[in-house]
Amino acid sequence: MFLNNFEYFAPQTPEEALTLLDRFGDKAKVLAGGTDLFLLMKDKLLQPEYMIDINQITGFKGISYEPGQGATIGAATKIVEVERDAIIREKYYVLHQAASELGSVQVRTMATIGGNSCNASPAAETPTPLVALGAKVVLHSLSGKREMPLAEFILGNRKTALKPGELLACFILPEPLPRSAGRYAYIGLREAMEIDAVNMAVYIVLEDDSRTVKDLRLIMGSVAPRPLFSREVSALLTGKEPNPALIEKAAEAASGEASPISDIRGSAEYRHEMVKVLARRLLQETYTAAKEA
Amino acid sequence: MEMKPKQLVTLNINERTYEVPLHPRDLLVDVVRKEVGLTGTKKGCGQGDCGACTVLIDGEPVLSCLTLAIACQGKKITTIEGLADAKGELHPLQQAYVQHGAIQCGYCTPGMILASKALLDRNPRPDTEEIKRALAGNLCRCTGYKRIVEAVEAASETINKEGVK
Repeated sequence: MFLNNFEYFAPQTPEEALTLLDRFGDKAKVLAGGTDLFLLMKDKLLQPEYMIDINQITGFKGISYEPGQGATIGAATKIVEVERDAIIREKYYVLHQAASELGSVQVRTMATIGGNSCNASPAAETPTPLVALGAKVVLHSLSGKREMPLAEFILGNRKTALKPGELLACFILPEPLPRSAGRYAYIGLREAMEIDAVNMAVYIVLEDDSRTVKDLRLIMGSVAPRPLFSREVSALLTGKEPNPALIEKAAEAASGEASPISDIRGSAEYRHEMVKVLARRLLQETYTAAKEA
Repeated sequence: MEMKPKQLVTLNINERTYEVPLHPRDLLVDVVRKEVGLTGTKKGCGQGDCGACTVLIDGEPVLSCLTLAIACQGKKITTIEGLADAKGELHPLQQAYVQHGAIQCGYCTPGMILASKALLDRNPRPDTEEIKRALAGNLCRCTGYKRIVEAVEAASETINKEGVK
C-alpha cells in the first residue's frame, strides 16, 4: 500500500500555507494528522500532486482560554492535547469525553481536531460535542477571514463549506453559561478503535432556579449525513423540569428524528433503539450535572 | 506526476543521526525498515488499525505506517532497537514481556512495548484499566492480552523500584 508521488511543503506561517493552497488549488491536499487522508490515498481515492503539511504553523496550534470570552482551539491541535487539557476538562467536559474516546492513543496523538471536522465523516466523534457547545469555525483565505457555526460548516458526508483556497484555522467555543453542563456518550462494537454506531452530546442550561431548562441542545452523530440537532427534544424540554416520563418522551422524539442507515456497524433499526437509550441516559445525566453546576 | 530523484533527509533515530535518501511519499515504517535497516518495527495492516508499526516520536506513540518520513526531520524517533542500553541489557519492559510470557509470535511485541513505554513515561504507576486503555490500539492475535497487562504491571514495579527510564 503505497502513496502516490507528490511534492511536499511544510509552510511555517498561515500566509505561506494559503499562498500554496491558492497556487495549487484542488491539486493539493492539506496534511494535518494524516490518519484519514493517507487511508484515502492508499485506497487511491485521492491522489494529490501537492501535499501542504500545516503541522509546523504555530498559529494553527494550541488551546487558549479567556475567562468570560471562551476558548479557542487551533485546527492543527492534536486530539490528545484536547483530551489532556485541564481547561477543556473543567469547562467543556463534553468535548473532553469525546476526545478521550476517539481511536487509540496512537490515533489521538496524530489526529487533529480540525481534521476531524474537515474530514466530515458522519461518524466523527468531536463534531457532535462541538456543535452541542455552539462552536464556531474561523476560515482563512488569502482574501480574508470568515466565521460560521460548525453546524453550518459540515454539510454532509465528506462535505464541508470550505471554498477553494480556504483553510480551517480554529474553533471558537463560547464561555459556558452558569448552571450548564454537557455530556457525551456513544455506542460502538468495542471500547477502542471502533467507528461509532451512534454518538450523542447533550448540553443543558438551567434557569436561576437550577431546576427549569432554559436551553437544551441534543446532537446526534452517525445517524444522519451530518451532526443532527434534535428540534423536538429542545421543544419538549425547554421551560420544563425534566422527569423520567418527560425524558422518555424526549428520547422517543430523538429516535424518530434520527435517519440512520444500515451498515456493518449496526442496522437502522438498532440505531433508532440506541438513540433512545443514549438520549434517555444522557438527558438524565446532563440534567443532574447542570443542577450541581 | 513525474518522479523526482530522492532527496537526502536527516533523521534522528534512537539518538543516532541518519542521512536517508527518500521521496516525500515514503512512509516512516518503510524508511526505518528498508533504508535504515531497523526491522524491529513491524508492518501489519498498513491502515493504522493494528499498532504493530508503533514508534515513539518525541516520546509519543505514533503509527509509522501513516507518517511521512520527511515530516519527521528535527524530531526524536525511538524504535524498539533504541530501548536496550548501551551494553545490550534489555529495558525492564522487554525483560518483563519475556519473563511473563507476554510474547508468542512476537509480531505485535515491538509496537506493544513502545506503547507501554509511552504510558509508563507519562504515568509510572498505571492501574489495570489505564494499561488496557493505553494498549487498546495494539492488536495481539496470540496471547489474549492478560500476560501483556501483567508484564506492564511488573515492569512498572521494577521501574519504580530501580528508577530506570
